[in-house]
Amino acid sequence: MTTVTDTDTAAPARTYRTRRRLPIARAVVIVVVALFAVWTLWPLYWMLSTSLKTSREATSLTPTVWPHSLDGSHYTGLFTGSLPFTNYFVNSIFTSLVSALVAVLISTLAGYSFSRGGYRLNGALSLAVLATQMLPLVVLIAPLYLLLLKAHLLNTYLGLVIGYTSFGIPFGAWMMKGFFDGVPREIEEAARVDGYSRFGILFRVVIPLSVPGLVTTGVFVFMNTWNNLLYPLTLINSDQKQTLPPGLLQSFSGTFKTDWGGMMAASIVTSLPLVIAFFLVQRSMVRGLTAGALAGT
Amino acid sequence: MTAPALAVLALVIGYPIVRAIILSFYHYPLLSPFRNFIGAGNYQRLANDPVFWQSLVNTGIFTGASVVLGLLVGLVLALALERLQGPWRFVRGVLLTPWAMPVIVVAFLFQFMFDEQGGITDALLQRTGIVHHAIPWLTSPNWAMVAVTLANVWQQAPFFLLIFTAALGGVPNEVIEAARIDRARGWSMVARIKLPYLRSAALVGALLMIIQNFNNFPLIWAMTEGGPGYSTSTLVIYVYRLAFTSFNVGYSSAIGVVWLVLLLFIAGWFIRVLRGQNS
Repeated sequence: MTTVTDTDTAAPARTYRTRRRLPIARAVVIVVVALFAVWTLWPLYWMLSTSLKTSREATSLTPTVWPHSLDGSHYTGLFTGSLPFTNYFVNSIFTSLVSALVAVLISTLAGYSFSRGGYRLNGALSLAVLATQMLPLVVLIAPLYLLLLKAHLLNTYLGLVIGYTSFGIPFGAWMMKGFFDGVPREIEEAARVDGYSRFGILFRVVIPLSVPGLVTTGVFVFMNTWNNLLYPLTLINSDQKQTLPPGLLQSFSGTFKTDWGGMMAASIVTSLPLVIAFFLVQRSMVRGLTAGALAGT
Repeated sequence: MTAPALAVLALVIGYPIVRAIILSFYHYPLLSPFRNFIGAGNYQRLANDPVFWQSLVNTGIFTGASVVLGLLVGLVLALALERLQGPWRFVRGVLLTPWAMPVIVVAFLFQFMFDEQGGITDALLQRTGIVHHAIPWLTSPNWAMVAVTLANVWQQAPFFLLIFTAALGGVPNEVIEAARIDRARGWSMVARIKLPYLRSAALVGALLMIIQNFNNFPLIWAMTEGGPGYSTSTLVIYVYRLAFTSFNVGYSSAIGVVWLVLLLFIAGWFIRVLRGQNS
């Protein structure tokens, strides 16, 4: 942690300032950063180290801070044991990917017309988008449940993906609008002169220029669906079709209660796709997070 | 081109809202065929339901404490880490990790660390002599609220770190230089020059997180299911419990509708604040 502050001495423009700085102030900064680093990293370390302990050590009543011996059996156990982890994992990947694709497709169209539409349409729709982002999903879930029950779509992938679109599309449409706003209209004018239709312009000119935006939106929707507990918990009721969050919750509060090692290994494997996705889009993260916030302006 | 989006949203958002409003006037048990119109009955029941009021208070405590603590931690970290350069920026990346983790994992992790038997938090507190008896983190009503809030702050503080870092990047260099020439250093630089630039980021971030925590279902559900008793039941948890463990869809919808109205007010306020920020 000490080196953190050393780096500013390396920046020549700021050197004079750093030298004059009180050593006490600098020490305070270092202590603060160190404390918060421990607060943040300790749980992560604990998750990793528990997942690598033997079952006996992981469930011991006097926990050991350093694992006595490293053991990968909790990880292999996930894929070979009686917990249907592979099932959950495949279902999560499948439904999240499909939802991301569907949401990107539909919200590209919507986002494009938000971006190019008239002011009045734009204002009203963007308010609607903002409002839907704030909707408590739990209020929607009972009516949605009854609807899917009637349509015989409970416990199907289709039903779950339909549910996921309720937050994927408003969010996606708003993000895509932001990206399309960045594509200069002159390019479209030129394409129009060349005789492209409206859809031709969108698919041959605008979309190829907005690929990073499409990817970012897709990744965001993927992350949100991967994270979602409420929808699969209510709309899916068999292990065969269940996704990771409710699947793990039900397993580890029932049959596998206090299998802490297995639980932590499952947690790490469940986190990996999300953490990787996060770092892929980290640059546009702030924009994505505040996409809803800026919708009303 | 908005037609497909509007069609889908009408189905998955418009219809459920209308249906929830209608359902709120019915006695509607999910599993039995006896359903009848009871007018404002559910709303009358709600006014006299102590659990509803407790859930409302719990929502306020959980949301307020999470946002205030998360914001402070994020702010301090963003200021402290502001001048990271080159490869050291990865420190910030690592500190952002909790925000990227699935909520369910955060819940599992803290459930494990706060376990009364063999949980590391109690073990460390006892070994260092800070407490003599294990703290019943998840089994005592008051501590359970502390535990879920701490877990939530752990996950959300990096969000504030992220937006404050972005906002600090937006402070114009000339302003910093001018302040430096005026010999503003250390604390006065932060308090007089930088904090005012962070006000709008703080506002937007706080409002976003207020709304998100109002709706935070997975963390509390996975850690305590709203218990012990109703001590950590927020409105989301209560609505869910009523609909899917008591199967009382009518009453659950009535609470949902009240809450929807409440959120609309917050959303309206949010929009006004944002418009004020921009103009």
